[in-house]
Amino acid sequence: MQLTVGISEMKVSTDPKDTLITYSLGSCIGVALFDPDAGVGGLIHCMLPLSRLDPDKAKKNPQMFTDTGVPALIQTLLDRGGTRKRMIAKVAGAASPLNDNGMFKIGERNYVVLRKVLWKNEILIAAEDVGGTVARTMTLHIQNGKTTIRSGGKENEL
Amino acid sequence: MSQREEILARVSTISSLPTSATQMLALANNPDAQIDDVQRTVEYDPGLVTNLLRLANSAYFGTGGAINSVREAVVRLGFKRVFQIAMTSAVAPIAQKEIRGYDLPRNGLLRHSAATALAVEYLPKRLSMRVPDATYTAGLLHDLGKIVLGTYLEINSAPIVIKAYRESISFEIAEQMVLGTDHAEVGAALLEYWKLPQVVIDSVRWHHNPNKYPHEDKTVVDLVHLGEHVARICGTSSSTDGMNYSVCVESLDRLGVVPDVLELVAADVLGSLEEICSIFN
Repeated sequence: MQLTVGISEMKVSTDPKDTLITYSLGSCIGVALFDPDAGVGGLIHCMLPLSRLDPDKAKKNPQMFTDTGVPALIQTLLDRGGTRKRMIAKVAGAASPLNDNGMFKIGERNYVVLRKVLWKNEILIAAEDVGGTVARTMTLHIQNGKTTIRSGGKENEL
Repeated sequence: MSQREEILARVSTISSLPTSATQMLALANNPDAQIDDVQRTVEYDPGLVTNLLRLANSAYFGTGGAINSVREAVVRLGFKRVFQIAMTSAVAPIAQKEIRGYDLPRNGLLRHSAATALAVEYLPKRLSMRVPDATYTAGLLHDLGKIVLGTYLEINSAPIVIKAYRESISFEIAEQMVLGTDHAEVGAALLEYWKLPQVVIDSVRWHHNPNKYPHEDKTVVDLVHLGEHVARICGTSSSTDGMNYSVCVESLDRLGVVPDVLELVAADVLGSLEEICSIFN
């Protein structure tokens, strides 16, 4: 079954028939986490870097922010039998407009915050497709952890 | 006839606005229009009645209590809001369709249009500014040129995409170089044909380049320009043009925008977007 992950949402599955997909990653960051031994995987689409921007919204929807969403994704995988050591992280998004004069450095900041969160959890980034000005669609196959990125009409495995 | 002239000439052959929306436009220009006139116009279009009642009861447009009739909606929300809802209702069926030329899936343009319309209202609120009357409509309609180019004229966007990304130029400039025109100019021509107010037409025409807007007060065009960037932050960019657009620094200066404001507005927009879009699905 194909499950769509909306903006500021995450989905986790242990069903090998499931595919998790998220569309239109611009400056947002998409993180696919997969534990091959436990057969559990999850995909999140975070819009903004830091929850301190709006603590009320972060409380209602932690997935909106990278600093609260990604720890929530890690925890959900742990609850479903995953372990940090085995988790494979793949990352996409963090684009910016052309002449980003600092106002719109949201993509870059999303990426920096993500690296910090993964570092704290001792999870390395196995592969990434980040930056530039393109929009990306990210797919995670729960059967084998295969992660693909579609951008500009082309699809590539990450 | 140049390619640009050919494209712009085709605008008049493309679908027209629903009669109820055209009549609402006429009422907007009529200072003597009465509540009865607005009510009659809405009730003439059963689809609009349904959408008006749903939107009038949404968290974004609503006023708190339940609204059960067209008259109640007109009285409680006011003509400006009812007009905006009529335009949203008129444009939604067109903007819902897949636009192959821009690789926009079904609902892609509707989400982007609605997100921009919300952003251009939330942004001035966050800046403690009055929201100009035409802003919502200009935000909602800013990218309709993509329907003309991407669906009706079935342009091949491949050479535009290659040019934009290879040469690191803003997407609409690549459109101008390949087609002789861009989706903003084509969209403005369509809105002129539909007889939208001039401020809406001009703001759509220059939404990628607010400095060229031909009037001194650039508030509406600046809001649409930045509102569209916020809509892209909210994950509503298509995979063809992505975020490959320039930011007008002067728009930021003129409105006095600081970085946190854009993020706050993005969070505001996301809070209302699903509700608005779900009404049309």
